[in-house]
Amino acid sequence: MRDLEAVRRGWRWGGVRPASWPEAAQPVPERESSLEWARAEPVRSLRWLVQRCLSVPFVRAMTHLRVEGQEWVQSLDGPVIVASNHTSHADTPILLAALPERARERTVVGAAADYWYRRPWLGRLVSLWLNTFPFARTGGAQGVLHSSSHLLRSGWHLLLYPEGTRSPDGRMGAFLPGVGHLAREARVPVIPAHVRGTRRVMPKGRGVPLPGPVDVRFGRPLRPGPEETSRAFSQRVERAVRELGQGSREPEVIGSWIERWRATGERRRRVARS
Amino acid sequence: MGRPGAVIEVDRTTPPTLVHFGEGVRLERLPLGSRIVYPPDPLPPIPHPERAIRRALAHPLEDDPLRELLRPGMRLTIAFDDLSLPLPPMARPDVRQLVLEEIVEMAAEAGVEDLELIVANSLHRRMTEDEIRHVVGDRIFQTFYPERLRNHDAEDPDQNVLVGTTAAGEEVTLNRRAAESDLLVYVNLTLVPMDGGHKSLATGLGSYRSVRAHHTVSTLLHSRSYMNPPDSALHASCIRQGQLIEDAVRCFHVETSVNTHCFPAIANFMQKRETDWSAADQAAFLAVKQLTDIAPPDVKRAAFHSMRAPYGLTAVHAGQVDEVHERTLEAVRRQLLVQVDGQTDVVTIGVPYLGPYNVDACMNPVLVVCMGLGYLFNLYRGRPVVRQGGVAILFHPCRYEFDAVQHPSYIDFYDEVLADTRDPAEIEARYERCFAEDPWYRQLYRTSYAYHGVHPFYAWYWAAHALQHLGDVIVVGGQREVVHHLGFKCASTLQDALEMAEQTVGRYPSITHLHLPPLLLADVQ
Repeated sequence: MRDLEAVRRGWRWGGVRPASWPEAAQPVPERESSLEWARAEPVRSLRWLVQRCLSVPFVRAMTHLRVEGQEWVQSLDGPVIVASNHTSHADTPILLAALPERARERTVVGAAADYWYRRPWLGRLVSLWLNTFPFARTGGAQGVLHSSSHLLRSGWHLLLYPEGTRSPDGRMGAFLPGVGHLAREARVPVIPAHVRGTRRVMPKGRGVPLPGPVDVRFGRPLRPGPEETSRAFSQRVERAVRELGQGSREPEVIGSWIERWRATGERRRRVARS
Repeated sequence: MGRPGAVIEVDRTTPPTLVHFGEGVRLERLPLGSRIVYPPDPLPPIPHPERAIRRALAHPLEDDPLRELLRPGMRLTIAFDDLSLPLPPMARPDVRQLVLEEIVEMAAEAGVEDLELIVANSLHRRMTEDEIRHVVGDRIFQTFYPERLRNHDAEDPDQNVLVGTTAAGEEVTLNRRAAESDLLVYVNLTLVPMDGGHKSLATGLGSYRSVRAHHTVSTLLHSRSYMNPPDSALHASCIRQGQLIEDAVRCFHVETSVNTHCFPAIANFMQKRETDWSAADQAAFLAVKQLTDIAPPDVKRAAFHSMRAPYGLTAVHAGQVDEVHERTLEAVRRQLLVQVDGQTDVVTIGVPYLGPYNVDACMNPVLVVCMGLGYLFNLYRGRPVVRQGGVAILFHPCRYEFDAVQHPSYIDFYDEVLADTRDPAEIEARYERCFAEDPWYRQLYRTSYAYHGVHPFYAWYWAAHALQHLGDVIVVGGQREVVHHLGFKCASTLQDALEMAEQTVGRYPSITHLHLPPLLLADVQ
């Protein structure tokens, strides 16, 4: 009985884990599908239809999306890496909605393999809807970088969140060096992007999005210098994203409160009418 | 129209009485001849609250319509009551949300760019994001949080200013943003007569420096009771401070009151008089009783604290504070007042699971005293229900349990201060300043969700009048060592408690039971 008591008290299942909890030990799915089907017809056309008719209009209605710097994406012919800050699951559909349509069709999104691909049905669903591919956050980095680089060489744009996880409080974390490594290996430019406002729309821990204004800014494309290391280039990208986020005195606010108030009022009236 | 409050005498046909017992309930058979004071039924709510609010803002008392006070380029601040009101928290939409939305809409139409909202939480804990969202509603939260909607920080030296000193020497501080505004609008919710009026601003946006002027043992001993402002030294002090604030800042008050519909349909039996219980109410009681008997405290707490009250708005007035508050108090008295003939030897009170200072937390022993002997004992006008030297019998499990996040200073107050002395005046003289200025409590108040370091002292002072007035206090069902630590007696059953009370007040005492919640205000003749 004493042993039983010791075991019972010794382990705590569920609940909050300490910061040092070895998340690295979480199993990444052993056999990752190449998910080629998600980038082949007829899935591509189906996804285009879903995004064009459902996802993008919904995002615009919910967020009154404002986009700055789309021209930087349009000005590039070849594949690019879009590196953005990450505060919410809503970031991906919003960033996709913010991209020009031609770029959106050709964008693949790096999704945490240990989160989205633990359950096969969920992995397939997000791959179908958002054109994601499993991006391992822990271990096996070389394999992932190779497959990412293969996608880039095939002409696909890549949307990545170099922080590696969603920010719990809205503050941007440090960028991991993988993005720099990938840009160097595939010899593609990186477009820094900053999303502002998604923490209010769907903060970490909330499952249902709420209406709220969102602002997306794309920056000038960056290319790694000949002598620049991957880590140094990642830090340069991080600085560029931070600078995009410092556009206004109130970092999470777009326009005056009166504009936001009126925008939400119109939305509320529309909902009431429908 | 609901029935007025009533005092009934227990006879052989009287059913057992429902008594709140912390996070649980029990049925007690009171001795024959005892009196039970029942609160009035909830008043019918105003059918169109939004319309009533718009009318109040358009036709304020002794002031210009709010719309005329708003202009582009002005600095407007709206302050509102925190989560300590109402209890239990109100089901959505909260009355404050309805008022705030009307005011904000007017400000938007007038083009007032510089608008901020402040939670007037005084020395209470900060409200969490979810709590603020619940009170102000999604639309205001989305528009203003966190840049223009925040908690008041009474310990931020840069954000509080000294407004002046009253003729009685009371210092008055105010939130800087409020003090430097062209117009300060206060949105209040008055549940009991001690709320609202000048107390809202003087306390809600004040700091320890100003609150300590009236939250003293002496003031509370001279408040008979503080639930009746004209007889309250505490309110006299608040009025002096409030008048100084009104001289310094242009203020506009909006006060609301709600009825006593404080339990949702699932707990409807708690709202009713036992004689009105149907079979369904009896079944609901049995279910709740059995579940609360076997459930662990955490589960019970989660269930009870998730209850939201379907209060209805009974009055809304706007304008200058004195006239507005007088009308609000009339509405509150209309809802709460019960005529009670004469005092009694023994009063029995069931202490419920929730008080103003333990929303989403357990009710620790100090708060049990604050609730039972502070708030509930003082729910009278004229004279206390129990005579001088009488006995109060409280029902509460009174366990040694504290919420370490919300009540860190309560733990030290209980363990260190009460171990030394229980005399409020001595506690005030020897310990208050030390706790109030403790940097760690200050840090927790400012950055965590802790009540201010001085708060347990105020909770204890609330009971000073009762402790002075009563001959004895007996807690039924309490944890023995905790009850003794508080300086009271412990009994297992009501019968034992009455036996013990007879040693203080003599044989065959008169007994009065206050059947609350819902709240009542005993007008003792």
